[in-house]
Amino acid sequence: MGGDAVESARIAVGVIDDHPVVIEGVRTWLARDPGIEVGHVADTVEDVPCGLDVLILDLNLHGRLVLDELARLAAAGQRVITFSQFTEREMVLAALDAGACEFVAKNEGSAHLLAAVRTVAADRPYVTPTAAGVLASDRRPDAAPLSERERTALLLWFQSMSKASVARRMGVSVHTVEMYVKRARVKYARAGRPAPTKADMLARAFEDGLIRPDEIVGYRSAASTD
Amino acid sequence: MTRAAERPVAVRYARAFRWTVIGVVAVWHLGYDVVIIARSVGGYDPVAAVFAAWVLLAAVQTAGAVLLLRSELDAARARALAAVALAAGELAGAAYPPGAAISDVSWAANTVGWTGVLLLVRRPLGELGVFMAVDVGCTAAHMAADGTLGQVGATRLITVAYTTAGIQLIFAWLGRRLHEAARQATESAGRWSAGLARSAAEEAVHAERRRRYEYLQARVEPLLRGLAEARLRPDDDAVRRRTAIEAARLRRLFAETDDTPHPLLHELRACADVAERRAVAVTLLSYGDVPPLPTPVRRALAEAPLLVLAGAASWARLAVVAGPDEVVVSVVADADVEVPVRADGPLSVVLDREEGRLWVETRWNPPGSP
Repeated sequence: MGGDAVESARIAVGVIDDHPVVIEGVRTWLARDPGIEVGHVADTVEDVPCGLDVLILDLNLHGRLVLDELARLAAAGQRVITFSQFTEREMVLAALDAGACEFVAKNEGSAHLLAAVRTVAADRPYVTPTAAGVLASDRRPDAAPLSERERTALLLWFQSMSKASVARRMGVSVHTVEMYVKRARVKYARAGRPAPTKADMLARAFEDGLIRPDEIVGYRSAASTD
Repeated sequence: MTRAAERPVAVRYARAFRWTVIGVVAVWHLGYDVVIIARSVGGYDPVAAVFAAWVLLAAVQTAGAVLLLRSELDAARARALAAVALAAGELAGAAYPPGAAISDVSWAANTVGWTGVLLLVRRPLGELGVFMAVDVGCTAAHMAADGTLGQVGATRLITVAYTTAGIQLIFAWLGRRLHEAARQATESAGRWSAGLARSAAEEAVHAERRRRYEYLQARVEPLLRGLAEARLRPDDDAVRRRTAIEAARLRRLFAETDDTPHPLLHELRACADVAERRAVAVTLLSYGDVPPLPTPVRRALAEAPLLVLAGAASWARLAVVAGPDEVVVSVVADADVEVPVRADGPLSVVLDREEGRLWVETRWNPPGSP
């Protein structure tokens, strides 16, 4: 799914949350963008319709973590943005490993959620400050090998107020900061289980010239047969 | 802590005593008893009973020694083996020639006594006393049956009881005293070092209190005095800001000595707490494990966030990223305050402003890290 054909049409978004007030709030935020339409609203992960471009999923539904369901959806090619009030490192990494395209913390506000929906719908990486903090501090042995500049950009983006501010700190352009952050996120796409959504994001990153295939050390496409 | 400290010495004493008892029993039974039996083998009737008694006693001694060294000699086993030892002694005594209960051919009573010392070493001394009484009583019963328990016989019995059972009881008693003395010595040494540690801790607490008091006197007292004497006006923005900062500093100071697993985060939360009381929405995010930090480093890391939080108008976002070689505390807020920038030694403070927002980052690298 995805691809250029969708970009001209409206982005179909599903919202799954067990709090009606959150669903209402997210709908209001999404309504600000005429290019987005809400095609599905539910409080469980059952019966998610096909054809949604992006699914906004609360990680904790009725007191239960839905990481397995998230992995199932990602494996079926559904782009998922997890939207959670839990921002612990383990939670964020588990969501990204399971195949979530992005993690947006509930305290991060409408701008990040809207930008994430638009970017993720185009199979491009989006990194919220919360996710940046987690990726920058990930010291697991199998963590993606980030360059020093990439790690610095993530760290500053996590702490900072804007990418312009990060650019000033690093003495580079905002575009370069964007590139460091996106490259770091793409490198992380190989972590955890393979998913078509991750493969789509990697393919798009190669297309965009964001990263070269040989920079993804140990990456194996979900489609490879060996 | 005294229990842990006393253990090595007490255990060493107990082990030495056990090996001594086992050694005495072995030498006596394998040496002295064998010589006596070999010399008088023709005099016993039946001689097989004497052999059986010797083997039985050897078996009891071996079992008792093994159990004792493994610390598996509980009350039931000790008493059962002691009963078998007494029975073996009686079996041997029954085979002595008439009138020879105390003579050159009698050997069992003394060995049974030492076996009792071995078996009952961990039991109350009274149990060994009862055991000895039964052992001597058996000899007395044989003498009475032989008709040799006259005045001379009784005197001999008392003399023998003194020199065998008496010595054995004194040996067991001395062993106990020795063990008790070792325990007391290590206990009092433990008490002494505990007292030393306590007084050191009290001194540290006292110094800490003094430091806090000096701080209060230098920073907070003039502020309170100024307010009380109406020299400082509570509706003056500068005074309000100064008060907010000192309130946060005090709150952090009190949090500093709390015993928590994450002191830096605890102290930052204390600063955030003060700001939240002023209706500032504070988000605190932390990723990575904060290494143990000395108090002055934590104080320095918290200072800039404290100033920004105290000056925040409505919101602030605190972010901590930590690793073994770096701790970064940063704060973004709608604040307009002056924060001293520094880049000396392991600590650096940098700041950036954008559209009424202030971002301050304090970074600490431990000395020696790249």
